[in-house]
Amino acid sequence: MSVDIYWRIGTHGDQPSLRRRTASRGGWAPVVPGSLAPGVRDGERDGYSYVEHMGDVARASEISGFVGGLLPSFPNTDDPWATAATLAGETTTYRFMIAFQPGFLHPVQAARMTASLQRATGGRVVYNVISGGGGPDQLWWGDRVDHDDRYARTSEFLDVLRGVWDGGPFDFDGRFYQVERAGLPPALRGQPFPEIYFSGSSGAAIEAAGRHADYYLSWLEPFHALAEKFERVRAASDRDPRFAVRIDVLARETEEEAWDEIRRGWENIDPSVLRDATGDSIGWQRSRSFVTGRITDHRDLEVTPNVWGGFHLLRGGPAFGLVGSYEQVAQRLDELIGLGVGAFILAGVPHLEEAYRVGERVLPLLRGHDLRIESPLLEGTLS
Amino acid sequence: MARFLITLPIGGDGGRGPRPDFPGFVTDLRRAFGPSDHLAQAGRAAEIAGFGGAFVPFDPEGEESLVVAAGLLRRSRWTRLTAGFHPGVATPVYAAKVTASLQRFSADRLDWWLDVDLDPAVARAQGDFLQGADRYARAEEFLTVAKGVWSEEGYTYEGRFYQVLAGGFTPPLSGHRFPAVHLSGTSPEAYALSARHADVHVFDPDDDIEAAPLPGVAYGVRLPVLARDDESEAWEAARRLWTAGGQAAGTLPDPDPRTRLWHGFPRRAADGPGGRSRSYGPGLVGSFETVAAGIRDYIDRGVGVFFLEATPYIEETYRLGERLLPLLAKERTHVR
Repeated sequence: MSVDIYWRIGTHGDQPSLRRRTASRGGWAPVVPGSLAPGVRDGERDGYSYVEHMGDVARASEISGFVGGLLPSFPNTDDPWATAATLAGETTTYRFMIAFQPGFLHPVQAARMTASLQRATGGRVVYNVISGGGGPDQLWWGDRVDHDDRYARTSEFLDVLRGVWDGGPFDFDGRFYQVERAGLPPALRGQPFPEIYFSGSSGAAIEAAGRHADYYLSWLEPFHALAEKFERVRAASDRDPRFAVRIDVLARETEEEAWDEIRRGWENIDPSVLRDATGDSIGWQRSRSFVTGRITDHRDLEVTPNVWGGFHLLRGGPAFGLVGSYEQVAQRLDELIGLGVGAFILAGVPHLEEAYRVGERVLPLLRGHDLRIESPLLEGTLS
Repeated sequence: MARFLITLPIGGDGGRGPRPDFPGFVTDLRRAFGPSDHLAQAGRAAEIAGFGGAFVPFDPEGEESLVVAAGLLRRSRWTRLTAGFHPGVATPVYAAKVTASLQRFSADRLDWWLDVDLDPAVARAQGDFLQGADRYARAEEFLTVAKGVWSEEGYTYEGRFYQVLAGGFTPPLSGHRFPAVHLSGTSPEAYALSARHADVHVFDPDDDIEAAPLPGVAYGVRLPVLARDDESEAWEAARRLWTAGGQAAGTLPDPDPRTRLWHGFPRRAADGPGGRSRSYGPGLVGSFETVAAGIRDYIDRGVGVFFLEATPYIEETYRLGERLLPLLAKERTHVR
């Protein structure tokens, strides 16, 4: 089975580089001279909006060889359904991986939106089903269902969604959802059911993922920890699960060049951002737990070769990513394929330029898991 | 003064039938295209023909309206899109969140038509078991919360149906125009909800508009029209519409002499999932001048927003834009 490689879209703007956290493309930070913010021109609204830039990232991803992109969803992001439906007509092969929490939408409505979007795109919708997160954000959304119950709700949601997909009539009387004689109308039936990327690191998440996920999606962690997590998912699954990893990549011609880019960002970190994030996401807590001890230098966060745990300090999001030469990053991705990873969601800041770089320079170097690259080759050329 | 919107075909095939194959010897470069392409054309027609907007109704047998509206907003610069949905589709926070992005992407051109009083069987098939007055109570909370998170940072709400703690949008999601809210219905509960939340209350053509107790709310009407160069051509087209629906030509109804409404327009009426019963509703038939006069009657009765509907959609949208709207130039307001 071939490996699907996605790229991320910053639905919450994008920094021009990892060197400075303050600036953002698209009006998500105060617009100052030099801010690229489609929608504002000379201080006035100009009829464009941030979706123009997201469309450019989608087309760059498509051109660079990514199969599609993840559209994240948080309180202060643009909405992935709105974005996908808006950009559907101006991409051709791009798969929209829509992040959403099942509790916010009714499953019948989700089925209808998905089927219409499948018809508009020729079947290019992919789900990233989120159930964790939580903390104060969950009440911002108006959701009071607690952490473990949210996975039970997700299971019901997907049961109803699948139940109506082929037309029904489908009856369901659950804890969270009830329907009677439900089903997609004839015109909307027969579309491919989206692949499901399922996130979550807790026991409840892994249990639910075993039932519903096509791909079990994890943030990057040190590889031994990922391998253990995959084993837990395998143990909880009836079928052979597939794995996907969401990874920030900072790849340059040479290793030194890559670390120098990190160093420049490190020197600009505001100490106040080092505080802990809130939320009951187990994934976030796991990311933090690998970074211990006194940190005096950015390389202290390189917990295993090329795996750096400080990305959250340079931009919003998870902690771990890959830093290194094009060859090194490709080799690490190969190693992950060797651990059973069948799909990647890569990301790099800024997303548009880095999509071209990673597509042109890293992806062609991938060899898959059956061919180990010997490290002396790299040491000879890089150090 | 009046605004004119055209109703879009969402009922499955984009308003057109299947496309027959060409004979083998005819060069055929048609790519595989689908209903979304027809919808895109219909939406473009509304923009080109000068309509102030287009209406994507909630139709349980058709496409999902917000997805359709998003695609059409992207393909237009001026047209406002009114998307129909019911309050059970999502939490009000999520409905507002999706809408906030669409307002950002479209320069504030999305409006809402909330279908509160669905047929009970349709509602249950959509996962909604609320009945009677509770539906209006829920819609009231839905709109209160949606407007609350839209305009207030740190918004908190504790209701029967919804709760929010420290919610509310922040820049740049905040600060956009809340969609104009369209509501309908002639029950006391419907009027009470409209009095609190509607920007436009939309009537059926033969409703008793004068009886509505809604000072300060704009009135709309959802109005099928069939207009041609002269009366005989219009009625010939009406006869074809009637018989195409399986009715015998001899049973062609006459227009109501008092209201001028012809009760022969096929109406999409869902009678539960998977089935659709054919019923007929009222609308205006006649020459362009006759139909324009009928519209002026509504304007005189206080109606300011017209959701016109005519099939086939693309061709009729052009026809109405070129021939009917110019007759109403004096009455017509441009949206912007």
